[in-house]
Amino acid sequence: MAKRFLMAMLLLCLMMPAWAQSKPATVTIWGWRAQDVDVWKSVETALKAKGEQITIKYEVFPPTEYDSKLLVSLQGGVGPDLMYTRRLPGARTQALIDNSYLVPLDSSVDLSNFDNVSLSFIRSNNKTWGVPFANQIVGIFYNKAMFDKYKLKEPQTWDELVQVAETLQKNGITPFFVSGKEAWTLAMQNAMVGVSYPGDAWIGKLAEGKAKFTDPEYVNMLKDLNALKKYYQKDFMANTTAEQDVAFAMEQVAMVFYGVWGNTNWLKTNPDLKFDYFPVPPKDKNLPAKAYIYMDGAYGLSSASKNKDAAIKVLNYAGTKAYGELFSSTTGEITAIKGVTMPASKPILVKCYNKMVTIASTNRYWVGSPFDAGMPSVYNILQENMQKMYLDQMTPEELAKKLQDGISTWYPAFKK
Amino acid sequence: MRGRAGRSLSDRPGKAGSSEARPILYLSEVDVRKYSFLWMLFPALLLYTVFIAYPFFSSLGLSFYDWPGIGPKKFIGLSNYKNILSGFMAPEFYRALGHNIVFFIWSLILSVVPGLFFAFLLSADIKGTKFLKVIYFFPNTLAIVVVGFLWGLLLNPQWGLVNQLFRVLGLGFLAKPWLGNTSTALPTIIFVTAWRGLGFYILVYLAAILGIDREMTEAARIDGATEMQIAGRIILPHLLPIIATTSMLKFIWTFNIFDIVYAMEGTQGGPAGSTDVLGTLFYRIAFGGLGSSQVGMGLGATVVTLIFLLVFPVSIFYVFIVEKRVERGE
Repeated sequence: MAKRFLMAMLLLCLMMPAWAQSKPATVTIWGWRAQDVDVWKSVETALKAKGEQITIKYEVFPPTEYDSKLLVSLQGGVGPDLMYTRRLPGARTQALIDNSYLVPLDSSVDLSNFDNVSLSFIRSNNKTWGVPFANQIVGIFYNKAMFDKYKLKEPQTWDELVQVAETLQKNGITPFFVSGKEAWTLAMQNAMVGVSYPGDAWIGKLAEGKAKFTDPEYVNMLKDLNALKKYYQKDFMANTTAEQDVAFAMEQVAMVFYGVWGNTNWLKTNPDLKFDYFPVPPKDKNLPAKAYIYMDGAYGLSSASKNKDAAIKVLNYAGTKAYGELFSSTTGEITAIKGVTMPASKPILVKCYNKMVTIASTNRYWVGSPFDAGMPSVYNILQENMQKMYLDQMTPEELAKKLQDGISTWYPAFKK
Repeated sequence: MRGRAGRSLSDRPGKAGSSEARPILYLSEVDVRKYSFLWMLFPALLLYTVFIAYPFFSSLGLSFYDWPGIGPKKFIGLSNYKNILSGFMAPEFYRALGHNIVFFIWSLILSVVPGLFFAFLLSADIKGTKFLKVIYFFPNTLAIVVVGFLWGLLLNPQWGLVNQLFRVLGLGFLAKPWLGNTSTALPTIIFVTAWRGLGFYILVYLAAILGIDREMTEAARIDGATEMQIAGRIILPHLLPIIATTSMLKFIWTFNIFDIVYAMEGTQGGPAGSTDVLGTLFYRIAFGGLGSSQVGMGLGATVVTLIFLLVFPVSIFYVFIVEKRVERGE
């Protein structure tokens, strides 16, 4: 009996340090991503396995209501410990920083697992305001079976892309499905073509005010893009991304201009679908093809948090490779953490992650670019006017001028 | 203010001659009963103040500020109004306003004319009238988002039922990308809106027709009047006040329209802004629209204030008309 008692006491003593390690705490997280519910459950389990007595309460709000709900709550003195934030530059997150609702993380969170491109989307005033959770890559996704059937290879130049489309069309296959009704997809298409066609370096000059949207490089790109519409499905201006998802998954079209996030829906609709990715090829074969990458969002620490220590522990875990693997395998999206092995069961993630690491464009003019930091933004101008160009209500030259004139009203480098 | 009967509130015990004995508000029991309606109004007044008056005046005040939705507001006077009415937002504002006006005119025509037509038919009390009333009113019971979604499916250019039907009927030239063409998108949304609301107009006009004294129409028939003459010279004049009322309601609803455009074309009011109305313009400005990072609550509040300035006089006129009709016992 005494032996048993001693054993129990010894066990108790051994467990004491673990208990003393952390006080029980509940960390509340607010976000707009319903697909992350299981991620946070797993994080809680992982932290508890490490002896951290942290309970995570993740609350999801509809994306359209999230920002308003967050702003109102923070101003009312309530809100979460950790919050999902949008990328920078952007008025919403900048306002949170300017009004001291966010805490800079450089000294409290290990951010060494992120590259500079990812962190640049959440840096302001030389401080880092969040832990990036996902990177998105956009480009052309294609049906492998169709490419194999007609012995087509991933095109290396714009002209080869047109040739591929021509071959497919001649064989009765719709080369591209474009969801023209949703204007944002056309802005995205323009931007993903931009990083390769006039090229990364040209966009760099544009950002410095040494090039203009009305330059031949950009106008020619618009002309070629407009000419490509003969390979889109009929009446593409009345189609949505939901219809695009079905058409691509059901193998009714060969290619889509889209983002890697689409893979979940496609595979849900057709688990046997074989597809792959290539970046939009450049016009000039001497230019490298570039992939448009942007950070999707980050986890920010609220300055009003009453559980800062526990919240920082959660953030530190969210910056580890273990978290990156957990995030990608659970959500089917690409983590923003470098050096992570993508799940082999999802080859598209492996390919896209590889492209992200090797050919990410450093300059861009769509989301997460300096051209999105004022009104009217490139994004806003492109949305409506890409539709006009495709509907033949505006020429490529007029669209280029619209961009140049619109951005010149506020962008410092264009005002000179 | 002393009551005619009963014990006044000043009769309550108190220190004689002291200021405490003097009531601030002198009310008799009769007065209390007389003004008790104020207490009954209080809950409604409170709700109105909290949910209508305060947001409106708050929004009016906000229209003079530059504010991204958080942090300190920067007073900028009438700059927002200048930007909307004659500045960089003017083209979008006037385009949206024009769409609201077109929307009002056509949805009014598409509601009143068929509404009256079907109401006349249903007033004949033919077999199956009750069933038809339910059928006509059914779309009104559907949420607008559901209506937008369903019509989005029906109008799909590749496999939607509408275009398939045209092709089967040999009218292939009518098979169009209805929601993807700048010349057909707005008329299509107007049609869908009118389709959804038609049942309401039918029921209102039918109730008005059934309220007309039958002796008048029967006397006209005995005097040899045709059905067209009865409809044009007796029934229609009696319906004019209700048509005026429903038209004003239509105006108010149309200038506040957002949901059906949002459901069918998104916040951009596409394609190429061809269905953009004041409601979607406000949404984009105030909340940034899908994916855009720019927000301007002050500028958005200015659009709301301008919508109010357009709708308010009509609303007042509407209330005036309704009051007059109540006074006349119609």
